[in-house]
Amino acid sequence: MSQKLSRRNVLAKISAALAAACAAPAAQAAKATVQKVLVESGGAKGYDPTKHKWAMAIDASRCIGCGSCADACKKENHVPEGHYYRTWIERYVITKPKPGSDEARGEVLVDSPEGGMHGFGPCPVPKEELLQSFFVPKLCNLCLHSPCAQVCPVGATFDSPDGAVLVDRKYCIGCGFCIQACPYGCRFMSPVTHTAEKCTLCYHRITRGLKPACVEVCPVQARIFGDLKNPVPDDPLQTFYKNNRVQTLKPHLGTEPRVMYAGIDKEVR
Amino acid sequence: MRLFNMPPQIVRLCLVTIGIVGSYLVARAVLTPPSFREYGFFRGDALKDIMALPPQYGGKVSCDECHSDQFTKLNKGGHKRLSCEVCHGPGYAHTQSPDAGMHKPTFTVCSKCHEANPSRPKTHKQIVLKEHYAGGKCMECHVPHSPAEVP
Repeated sequence: MSQKLSRRNVLAKISAALAAACAAPAAQAAKATVQKVLVESGGAKGYDPTKHKWAMAIDASRCIGCGSCADACKKENHVPEGHYYRTWIERYVITKPKPGSDEARGEVLVDSPEGGMHGFGPCPVPKEELLQSFFVPKLCNLCLHSPCAQVCPVGATFDSPDGAVLVDRKYCIGCGFCIQACPYGCRFMSPVTHTAEKCTLCYHRITRGLKPACVEVCPVQARIFGDLKNPVPDDPLQTFYKNNRVQTLKPHLGTEPRVMYAGIDKEVR
Repeated sequence: MRLFNMPPQIVRLCLVTIGIVGSYLVARAVLTPPSFREYGFFRGDALKDIMALPPQYGGKVSCDECHSDQFTKLNKGGHKRLSCEVCHGPGYAHTQSPDAGMHKPTFTVCSKCHEANPSRPKTHKQIVLKEHYAGGKCMECHVPHSPAEVP
């Protein structure tokens, strides 16, 4: 009995059991890999993410704050009811400085009732006190160095080769690190799937040759969308870059957003 | 048991190390999806999962297939830059099967863009509803598909 339970026997038995346990799944994995190579190399690929680079630009000086984009985004992407938005509109109201003060500008009021989905009410400041006011559509800033993708512990949020920052719902564990990491507040935890959600640049649409829903419905072309790798004749994005002096949001954070804004003020963050 | 003249405890240590590293490699091969690292440090098939989602908005061009008269009229007028779905709502289902109805535009689709608001660009045409609106329907005086036209 003592001889049977010797260290050598036990070790030999453990390694034999380990080898047997590993053999079957390893064979399966090998089979899956072979199948994938065979199937994918043979089949025609409709869309190659490495051959595109999508980008968006916002001309805030055109925005009329109608809310069509935020509304269309909710409908297109089945964004949960309530205060969950993949894109939204903010209204900036800057008042005149108080009489006798030595300041250039007064108070800054920012609001976004229901993400601006149903438009905006009357200006909260009387006309005499109003210095200026404008709307700013907001969305995922498509950062070159996305903090959200950097903090994801499971590789569920990633920078797609075609420029979108996406979430793999099957991998997302719902830890919420990315929601804290995004300096632009572009993410939320879905109460339905309990995974992080965000603007996908309407990835299911752009890969079909359609425009993102918000760009499609914008009545004043405040949202400009295009492919940097395949510019079309009179490309709206290239025209925008040519005709406007642009800026990005929170450039000091080093996220290098790829969404360029024109016509916004220093108060916009 | 003396391999390469090593003491037996070192040989055992080597075997245990090989066992641990080996089982890690096998586990990684089994648990990592085949499409992982296809494009980067993520599951390549996730792109296909997102691509497969159905769209809701069909796009302006698709309306031209059946409604070319309205489409041409719209493209000549002041609303030429508007997509049909701004006012008529999402219509991908309608493009796939005409039986799937469309949203009937109401008075709110006019006011959501044209009601006066100091935050709007000055160049945008705006009305103060209380002063402008006489109680009738917008379409009694205006043609949305061709704003310059008088009905």
